[in-house]
Amino acid sequence: MENLIALKTNRIPWALKIRGVLTILVAIFIGVWFLTPLVLITISAFASPRDYYQIEKVIPTHFTVEHFHALFFELEGWQAMLNSLKVVGLTILFSFTVGLPASYALSRYKFRGKSFLKLSMLASRMFPVMILAIPLLIIYMKIGLSDTIYGVALAHTIMVLPLIILVSASILASVSVDYEEAAMIFGLSRIHAFLKITLPLALPGLVASAILAFIISWNEVFIATILNLTNRTLPAHIFRSAMDSPDYFKFTAGFIMSIPAVIFIFFVRKHLVTMWGISLK
Amino acid sequence: MTNVTIRGLCKYFDRVKAVDNLDLEIKAGEFIVLLGPSGCGKTTLLRCISGLERVTAGRVFFDDHDMTYLSPKGRDISMVFQNYAVWPHMRVEKNIAFPLKVKKFPQQEIKKRVAWASDLLRIEELLDRYPAQLSGGQRQRVAVARAIVVEPRVLLMDEPLSNLDALLRVRMRSEVKKLQQKLTVTTIYVTHDQVEAMTMGDRIAVFNQGMLQQVGISDVIYHNPANTFVAGFIGSPQMNFIEVEIESINNELYLRTKNLTIPLNDKFKAKVSEHSGIRNYILGIRPEHIYLTGQSKTYPVTKGKVYFLELLRSDTIIHLETEFGFLVVKEPGDLKLEENREIEVSFDLNRIHLFYEDTGNSIMT
Ligand SMILES: Nc1ncnc2c1ncn2[C@@H]1O[C@H](COP(=O)(O)OP(=O)(O)OP(=O)(O)O)[C@@H](O)[C@H]1O
Ligand SMILES: [Mg+2]
Repeated sequence: MENLIALKTNRIPWALKIRGVLTILVAIFIGVWFLTPLVLITISAFASPRDYYQIEKVIPTHFTVEHFHALFFELEGWQAMLNSLKVVGLTILFSFTVGLPASYALSRYKFRGKSFLKLSMLASRMFPVMILAIPLLIIYMKIGLSDTIYGVALAHTIMVLPLIILVSASILASVSVDYEEAAMIFGLSRIHAFLKITLPLALPGLVASAILAFIISWNEVFIATILNLTNRTLPAHIFRSAMDSPDYFKFTAGFIMSIPAVIFIFFVRKHLVTMWGISLK
Repeated sequence: MTNVTIRGLCKYFDRVKAVDNLDLEIKAGEFIVLLGPSGCGKTTLLRCISGLERVTAGRVFFDDHDMTYLSPKGRDISMVFQNYAVWPHMRVEKNIAFPLKVKKFPQQEIKKRVAWASDLLRIEELLDRYPAQLSGGQRQRVAVARAIVVEPRVLLMDEPLSNLDALLRVRMRSEVKKLQQKLTVTTIYVTHDQVEAMTMGDRIAVFNQGMLQQVGISDVIYHNPANTFVAGFIGSPQMNFIEVEIESINNELYLRTKNLTIPLNDKFKAKVSEHSGIRNYILGIRPEHIYLTGQSKTYPVTKGKVYFLELLRSDTIIHLETEFGFLVVKEPGDLKLEENREIEVSFDLNRIHLFYEDTGNSIMT
């Protein structure tokens, strides 16, 4: 009798165990799928040229940081990286100063043509950047914005703005309007209520949408290449110089490209899950 | 102390008339209760008074100042929200202190008041928790504490005790009432709990479907309801309504329906004779004003079969099946009646209400 119960109670944990193992396997598979390129890039980025070109050596054993030195200092990668960080920073700044009020309006007010407005914002993203780039360059040259950090940042702002507005609107909408109204009752103006109450509550989600802006702007190469000749951003710089270089240089460049994004995302990753206001605790 | 005057206030949401042409005068320092069923527009009215909602038409005055289009910030009010709206990113203490900080009270005074309010609402132990770590009732008390720490011109409370257990609710009722008397702040208190309304309000304003049905002291609301809605909404169990006709027998006027003949009380006679025979009437009588015959000397009226008994121990609610429908009778104490037994009951003639059938209005108004 006792054995029977033991058998019965054992059966369920087995099923659960199998499911657990399967879950882990799937997780490992996904992890490997996404991480392998990153690992390969990292290894190749540090590989000494001799190891890299030795066909029979799958995994290099001699490592060097010379490529980094070369890329950063001899090929002026350092300057390009700084430019990129500036462009990204400005893009986030611009897109939030313009986008946040817009997303607030979308999240809090009902008005005519609201859904059309949302749709048309997305439509502007459907316009290919290739077509945009040349006229933009001409306009920039006329107003003296060409070959400047601000010019690229503005162009990137246009690219990320619709996304920032729509994502932030849904994040702000997830913060109950009651909190804001309560603050207004107790003596704050609407703008203060927004700054003191809604903004802190929405911050995790807004940080997540800032990641979006970061990634888009950091990786954007086409506009950045066309608009700027001397003040190139990192991807544009790599596009121009590293592509003519030996392969291991490309990997080094790829590694440098991915590092800031990885660091940035690492610091804000816990906010990612709250992106759609699923959890505000 | 501030008196609040509401004139011709309307608030429509598309086709929903949440508040419809409301006139109400609330005296300075008065505790007025807004009572009505769910969805009748109580919250909407509070939001119009607070300035959170733009009115469709009408005016709101505090004393002689027109507040209709002023933002909430400029109105110097406090509010307990129906869903609390306690800020989740602030600890309880910070929540309660917030209105004081906004009004730039000195640090010392803020401490004192927060301590006082949290003591009054019994939430001292919760001061350094986040709202997410509180139960619904605790959160509600935080919301009340936050509303009373400042002395506002007008205090608005939207069902502030709805989530407390029965014991705490009764205690809080008296605490809130006493507090209001001490502060003499004009208070508008929303509830759909009639006991709360009866015990707390200086006056009660009864609403239905966005319209004010009657406003007055609890005594008047209970004994002289203006229409069948108020009569039916106030009192538990509900008032009995019986359709009757007026008949003249030997030059005496009677209210009649099947198996029921009631002599018309003098106070109704003048009203009825003005338009006798034209209109149909509804007789209303509260369960507590019907007696088992033998226990009272009033007019014996009708018979009925016991259909169902509710034994509340303090009272017994008897559901009688009569020829003109069900009749609910409330008798004090434990009663032993077997079902299906025929009993006789009599109506207290002085406690009979009479309404027009078409409008539902009391014929006394
Ligand atoms: N923002 C709104 N948009 C549309 N209709 C609304 C809105 N707010 C309230 N209403 C409607 O107005 C009416 C009154 O709502 P209100 O919230 O004032 O009721 P209430 O008396 O407070 O009810 P309860 O006792 O359930 O809280 C309801 O029919 C409701 O559906
Ligand atoms: Mg309500």
